[in-house]
Amino acid sequence: MARKKENVRRVSRRSFLKFLGGASLAGASLNLVGWGKPLTADKAAGGNGWLPTQYNIPGSWPTLVRGRVPIEVTNPSIVRDSQKCILCGQCIEVCKNVQSVFGHYSLPLIEGIVCVNCGQCIHLCPSGAISEVDDTERVLKALADPDVHVVVQTAPATRVALGEEFGLPVGTNVQGKQVAALRKLGFDAIFDTNFTADLTIMEEGTELVKRVKGELKKPLPQLTSCCPGWVKFVEYFYPDLLENLSSAKSPQQMEGALIKTYYAKANKIDPEKILSVSIMPCIAKKFECKRPEMVSASKEEKDSNITPDVDIVLTTRELARMIKKAGIDFNALPDGQYDRLMGDSTGAAVIFGATGGVMEAAIRSAYYLITGQQPPLTLWDLQPVRGLLGVKEAAVNIPGIGDLKVAVVSGLANARKIMDQVRAKKSPWAFIEVMACPSGCQYGGGQPRASAPPSDDIRAKRSAALYQSDSNNQLRNSHDNPEIAQIYKDFLGKPMSELAETLLHTEYKSRAKQFIGEKEKSS
Amino acid sequence: METTRRRWSFKITPIRLVFMAIAVLAILIILIRFILGLGAITNLNDQWPWGLWIAFDVLLGVALAGGGYGTVLIVYILRRDKYYPVARSAMLTSLLGYVIVVLGLLIEVGQWFNFWRPFVSWGYDSALFEVFWCISMYTLVQVIEFCEIATEKVFRGFHKYLKKAMPVLLVLGIAIPTLHQSTLGELFYMMVGKLDILWWSVLLPPFFLLSSFFVGPGMIVLETSLSGKAFHHQVEVPVLRGLVRISASVMILYLLLKIADMAVKGTFAKAFALDFTSIMFLAELVFGVLIPIFIAFSSAANTRKGLILFGMLDVGGVILNRFNVVFTGLGGYLNQYGGHYFPAWTEFAVSAGLVSIACLLYLFITENFSIIDHRGAEPVKGVMTEHGKYAFFK
Amino acid sequence: MTKGVLVDIPKCLGCESCSVACKLWNDLSWDPEQKVKTAKDRAKEPNKGLWPNDWTSINFYGLEKEGSPAWRFVKTQCLHCEEPACVSACFSKALQKLPEGPVIYDQNLCVGCRYCMLACPFNIPKFQWKKVIPGIRKCQMCPTRISNGEAPACTSVCPTGALTFGEREELLAEAKKRIKENGYIDRIFGEKEAGGTGWLYISDVPFEQMDFRTDVTTKPLPSYTEEYMKVTPIVGVSWAAILAGLYVYFNKGKEPLE
Repeated sequence: MARKKENVRRVSRRSFLKFLGGASLAGASLNLVGWGKPLTADKAAGGNGWLPTQYNIPGSWPTLVRGRVPIEVTNPSIVRDSQKCILCGQCIEVCKNVQSVFGHYSLPLIEGIVCVNCGQCIHLCPSGAISEVDDTERVLKALADPDVHVVVQTAPATRVALGEEFGLPVGTNVQGKQVAALRKLGFDAIFDTNFTADLTIMEEGTELVKRVKGELKKPLPQLTSCCPGWVKFVEYFYPDLLENLSSAKSPQQMEGALIKTYYAKANKIDPEKILSVSIMPCIAKKFECKRPEMVSASKEEKDSNITPDVDIVLTTRELARMIKKAGIDFNALPDGQYDRLMGDSTGAAVIFGATGGVMEAAIRSAYYLITGQQPPLTLWDLQPVRGLLGVKEAAVNIPGIGDLKVAVVSGLANARKIMDQVRAKKSPWAFIEVMACPSGCQYGGGQPRASAPPSDDIRAKRSAALYQSDSNNQLRNSHDNPEIAQIYKDFLGKPMSELAETLLHTEYKSRAKQFIGEKEKSS
Repeated sequence: METTRRRWSFKITPIRLVFMAIAVLAILIILIRFILGLGAITNLNDQWPWGLWIAFDVLLGVALAGGGYGTVLIVYILRRDKYYPVARSAMLTSLLGYVIVVLGLLIEVGQWFNFWRPFVSWGYDSALFEVFWCISMYTLVQVIEFCEIATEKVFRGFHKYLKKAMPVLLVLGIAIPTLHQSTLGELFYMMVGKLDILWWSVLLPPFFLLSSFFVGPGMIVLETSLSGKAFHHQVEVPVLRGLVRISASVMILYLLLKIADMAVKGTFAKAFALDFTSIMFLAELVFGVLIPIFIAFSSAANTRKGLILFGMLDVGGVILNRFNVVFTGLGGYLNQYGGHYFPAWTEFAVSAGLVSIACLLYLFITENFSIIDHRGAEPVKGVMTEHGKYAFFK
Repeated sequence: MTKGVLVDIPKCLGCESCSVACKLWNDLSWDPEQKVKTAKDRAKEPNKGLWPNDWTSINFYGLEKEGSPAWRFVKTQCLHCEEPACVSACFSKALQKLPEGPVIYDQNLCVGCRYCMLACPFNIPKFQWKKVIPGIRKCQMCPTRISNGEAPACTSVCPTGALTFGEREELLAEAKKRIKENGYIDRIFGEKEAGGTGWLYISDVPFEQMDFRTDVTTKPLPSYTEEYMKVTPIVGVSWAAILAGLYVYFNKGKEPLE
């Protein structure tokens, strides 16, 4: 019995070991034939090459995948859809080399990402990943609300570019159609930022004259302050030169302050119910209107319920989108007229939209302010400050003070060179106009994406349209604008009066503490 | 009498209908899982890749089924013949437990159709590799062991061969589960710094092994008293008491090891901090180990009620232990940045469904095969056959 | 000999070129739910921005250093341990470490048990819960690029030099140099953590403030189970032999049980 059992067990153990050995052998041989082979790189999960959305097969081409600039999610001007980004590096190119922002500060970050909100990256982005923060919904909501009095202003440069969105040739001036379209969209009052451009010339020109004459204890050269990207640039990188910036606000902010005071009073509208919108070629304006100090109407009226001077800034592109969404046949619109009170403007104002325009307009009026006489015809065609060059110089002889040396700069990398000279006290100029965007507002970050990358041909055509508008205008000097005369008579008194200082002038703050400056080249 | 044995029977009772309903619901949910994926019916997430199914179906299923190998050791190897009456039912419970574990795992893993991969692609560094092999092998061994019983009724020709193979199967049937019961504990040893220090220990394998051993008698007590009611067939108190005392002796060893482990890790303060983890930890030891030990060695062990209480505390303690390892022990770490997991009702339903299926199978098999043996049982009703066995249903 | 990447945290300004590059190279789709999240949101969530289709994430921490604000961005992805826990946890060898350094995954071999997710000391592997046939997803460190001698996609596009690809040994030396030069915290995260990782981090603010797992063991994780796994077969065989002996001993002269 016991023997039998022993036998049984031995046999079955052998059979079991056979089974175990068999399984192991099978496993080992399957290992050998490949199922258990070590993995190789190509077996790894994931793709196997760049796959930008427009190329349908992965590959190692394009080889130039170079990264991109940082854009903060709280940026009031610029948004990026990462899904569209192909890391081509064009935004870095423009931000670093054209605008001298990216790469011109040291890391680590302290607070926030350095950005002047110029939006040139939008024009360079070939895949449309970068665009403006869309505020059209907010405007449409206000337009639909009968309790809100929506007032709009349009910048000088939008009128020569808006048409491109509707298939019109580059450089078509659509000022009248733009007004008509805004009216159709339901805006309650439509004013021209050109009016406050003229006003800016009065204020800024007066300030310049005072500085030149020594009546105002502020340093020369005076720097223009109508470009919010440029102002922010100075606040970041040249806080020691803030005194040189003209204290005059930009035309947009002047208009906004006046809409909620001068216009509201004249029409007996509760400024609390006014929503002030502006149509701008610029996306830095979206930042500018949110600056905490830009609440002059509220301060002046001592009413905290009055919203900021400019509530919403729309770019030319956003306006075009609104017009398209509303189903308006833009090209068939008859020309409309700006509303009175702040709708008149001169040729000097419209050229604000091109680099050198502010300078030319300022010189025309400065001549008048200093000499009391109308400027000579040569100042109506000041060629040295016109054109697409990044840095331009001129010397204008004004009786009484002699040669007034001026410089005109566009593009912040150019401005950086000039500012370094100013900082080193090597600046021969009394007045410097700076526009952040190359060639000025007409190719601002909010203008139609006419081509990528931006082309000088389009820049030249848009500029030409602005200068054409200037030469077609009956009035060529800001001080000749009848509504300007009226506002000083009825409301402001005189340039740089106390009220003008409150409503039309501002202050700047250093942003140098938000980042670590560029390290010295030597280190 | 031959005709009686060949007939299949399955009595339909209300409780069985409930089991069937739950099973059907679970099967429907399982179908959804295969059509829509795990995310559709579980609350598992990237913080909680393992949830109820692993804790309940696998860790616990394996532990509770562990009664099988303990009984085999006591009865067949050490020949404590007085426990023979419970052997077959303990082994059947174990087999069904493993079938459920294997089914549960197939539902639980992402690529179920790849379940065979570790047979050929050997990740032999992994504790899971050993668990996988052992559970597969052991399930196979148990199926063959069951065939030995089944061939008493069907395919009788194979019976004598299987009977001859039994010694080897029995030896393997102890050696293999010993390995994977302990390795299941080792799985969590790698989660160093993630698993709470109260549970994380180099002794995780012996803890899992010992607890799977001492939960066996607890399960047998509960199961025989339940099936005893169903079949009017109770196992004698002294038999159960003996088992319970063996269990309690192992518990003492377990408890001593736990105390030694705490001493080495210096976790006494943490264990008695009386915060949530400490309370869970203490509850597991006090109710699951300490009190059962007292019951086992007191006069309470002479009564059926006392034995059932022991069984409930013993089983409950091991359930709590496995849940503590997965949920309480890992929770502190996995939830630190706002992770969250509570099983979806569908998860509960699937677990309940698997248990129901196991119960139905148990009932079917005990009804139709010779599981609840005659020796030492207290016959209430039934007819003695000429082979010395009862045929419960004619 | 393995390759790695050095992450210089103070040099990161959060442009997220790396995470976009990862998407472009690995053909990972954009999950609308994840796309809207900001670097700040991601730093606060338990997944830390890592999802089946997001293998790397830039997370924002607005900290303070010496009384002034300090914005820091942390790139998260698989750290590619020198001795990966996930690889040793994988019982079907679906996860393996290449000699060059990348820890890669082949779904063909995967059973889907998710033990790797629990074994990983940094909670990196993510599971495709929403898929019918789900797999594990995590950074693969662009192994085909590395075998061509190129940097991983993310590292190749970093515009500020916050990411440096190279031999791990050289990167450690470079990291030590930078710590000294820039006055960083004297610790290279990844030098010893989990037995050493391919990706190394240096920082000027304490790692704890950026949710780094600084208390992680410095012992390679596979070593925790290595010994156990080694003795198991011997224990198993000896145990079976003992049982057989016991069986013979106790059954001697007894009737076999039915």
